[in-house]
Amino acid sequence: MQQQTSAIRAAIDIGSNTIEVLIARCLPGDLEIIEHQTTMARLGESVDNSGEISRDKFNIALDAVHEYQQLAKKQKAEQILAVATEALREARNGRDFLEAIKRETGVEVQLISGSAEAVLDYYGTTYGSGAPSDVGVLDVGGGSTELILAKNRHITWLTSIPIGSGAIHDRYLPSDPPTDEEMKATSSYLAQYLPTIGIPEAPPALIVTGSSASSLLKLTKHAFKLDVQHNRLAIEDLMRCEGLLSALPAEEIARRFEQRLERARILAAGALIIQAMMQYFHLDEVRVSSHGVREGALLAYTRFGEHWLEEVNSIAARQGRTSAEQDARDKQQQPFAEFGQDILPAYAKKLLKWPADIREQEDSEAVHKMRVASRRLRAALDAFESSADAALFKKVNRRVKKLADRLGVVRDTDVMITGLHADEQAAPDKEQAAGLHWLIDRLEAYHKQEKQALDTELQSLDEEALKQQVASCTANGAAHHGKS
Amino acid sequence: MAKAKPLTMLDPQAPTGQNARRIADIRLDELYGYAAHVDAPYEVRGLHNLRIAAKRLRYTLEIFADVLPPACQSIADELSQIQDELGALHDHDVMIALLRLCLGSKDAGNVYEQTLANAGKQQGKGKLLLEPALVSAVLDPDAALSPEQRYGLEQLLLKQMQAREECYRKFRQHWYQLQARDFRRETLDTLND
Repeated sequence: MQQQTSAIRAAIDIGSNTIEVLIARCLPGDLEIIEHQTTMARLGESVDNSGEISRDKFNIALDAVHEYQQLAKKQKAEQILAVATEALREARNGRDFLEAIKRETGVEVQLISGSAEAVLDYYGTTYGSGAPSDVGVLDVGGGSTELILAKNRHITWLTSIPIGSGAIHDRYLPSDPPTDEEMKATSSYLAQYLPTIGIPEAPPALIVTGSSASSLLKLTKHAFKLDVQHNRLAIEDLMRCEGLLSALPAEEIARRFEQRLERARILAAGALIIQAMMQYFHLDEVRVSSHGVREGALLAYTRFGEHWLEEVNSIAARQGRTSAEQDARDKQQQPFAEFGQDILPAYAKKLLKWPADIREQEDSEAVHKMRVASRRLRAALDAFESSADAALFKKVNRRVKKLADRLGVVRDTDVMITGLHADEQAAPDKEQAAGLHWLIDRLEAYHKQEKQALDTELQSLDEEALKQQVASCTANGAAHHGKS
Repeated sequence: MAKAKPLTMLDPQAPTGQNARRIADIRLDELYGYAAHVDAPYEVRGLHNLRIAAKRLRYTLEIFADVLPPACQSIADELSQIQDELGALHDHDVMIALLRLCLGSKDAGNVYEQTLANAGKQQGKGKLLLEPALVSAVLDPDAALSPEQRYGLEQLLLKQMQAREECYRKFRQHWYQLQARDFRRETLDTLND
């Protein structure tokens, strides 16, 4: 009887790694799941690389939302509740992206704060029977991780930190499979980071959610032949997973253990985050839940009605600190030299994203983007010169300047030629066109010559060495310079 | 391009927020150090240096966005617009210089030419307006311009000079709009908010 009167609703969650839909019959405090689908979009990767959602990623997201909308219609869902999280919070064009989704599909996506995400995670993971009344909930997402503590089924503390499986993978685990050194460095970073969050106390039990946790559980079941009903991960399981993930390339992991390739690539990062949290809380095992934000949104709507998000925000505001606030506070106080050690390699990485496109695809936009990246890196190097090893800094700065100059010549000539072509098209008579043609011919010859010089420069560029130099020029610099 | 002002009084062990404000202060001073060139429409190098200074300040605000007040974004947006306006002006200056070179200097003589000649004497004090390799690629002594080609380039030069005037007018208007609301004070207040 209840089934006939209960509303069917859909929840779409646009995350840093995945875009997911859940369609369920919504009962007070409970859900009957009808459909669940996932698209691996990795929006966070695009944001990490360029600060924006790229056109390709936008199209993937738009297709997914459109498909989910059709699915919701087919299942006769009364409402679609759509939320977006860390990747969209971080993207410069996040708001434009959401407006475009609304324009193209009519679906209004709510950009929720990290704290609101944590509240929804708690609702989603603890509904139904079986969750302890005193518990911690950990949602390891692609771009952020939420941690919620609850006592007597009431949230007592929550936070959202800008560390997720995608972000950790992109930043610390670039090799495939990740090397031992990379794994150790990541563990060490996480072990140092967690005490700075200010977690008031360790929960007696932890429920872990998010796609990384579900995929790791699936991996352990396949690889170590565990009971399929098993929903717990022991610390030994995670260590065995890490051994596997650092021994086999992602393609092999995906093929052998029925994982999506994109997921397999970032699984080691997810395992390290969960393991670090377990060690911090001295827990031997965690329970894995496949529920989270989507279930939380549907339950919140059933409980609070149309103003569900306002209520969730209000709970979040009472208990939480947003990831932005937390992050800003940490970074404000972070020693300057250490901040430089974090951001200079990130700027170098953005610079080195383009050489292949320039060499292989003759992509003039790639020249422009690499030039902009080179300018940003130079500005960042300028800022941290006083914290750098003087000799190494000089070497790196000279190298980047040379690159920037070469890119500048090619780009400026490209812009001139494009402008002259437009003038040529609009020339009112053949005499004017003749003059323009003469100049374009010469500039094109010059452009070709300079592009060849740039290609040669890029071929001789030892990308790994440059990355290393950028990373190490501020590593011990403070000791060399002191105050200046 | 003028060399960046050295960043003094930074403490590598001090909080990032404190040093970020210090760097932004230095870059803001640097920007206003070139403000006198705003009223000299043909001070090609001075206006170019003003643009680079605007860019340096904007990048500083972007690099340290996480530790500076969010309102700095609107300051960065204004700087980006200044940079674009001066960038367009610079592109016209390069094209005008190139066209004058192609057409020869016989028909020169106005204020712009004079300033350009002065800029030429600045060799060794910074990057040249025209790359020597570009000059040698364009100027081919064995390939004289036909009358039609010459006419076409003269028309293009005229068009470029008119477009430059318009660019300069727009930039100057924007600059004085910013000064009317005391952009320097506004930037300092925003940084220290």
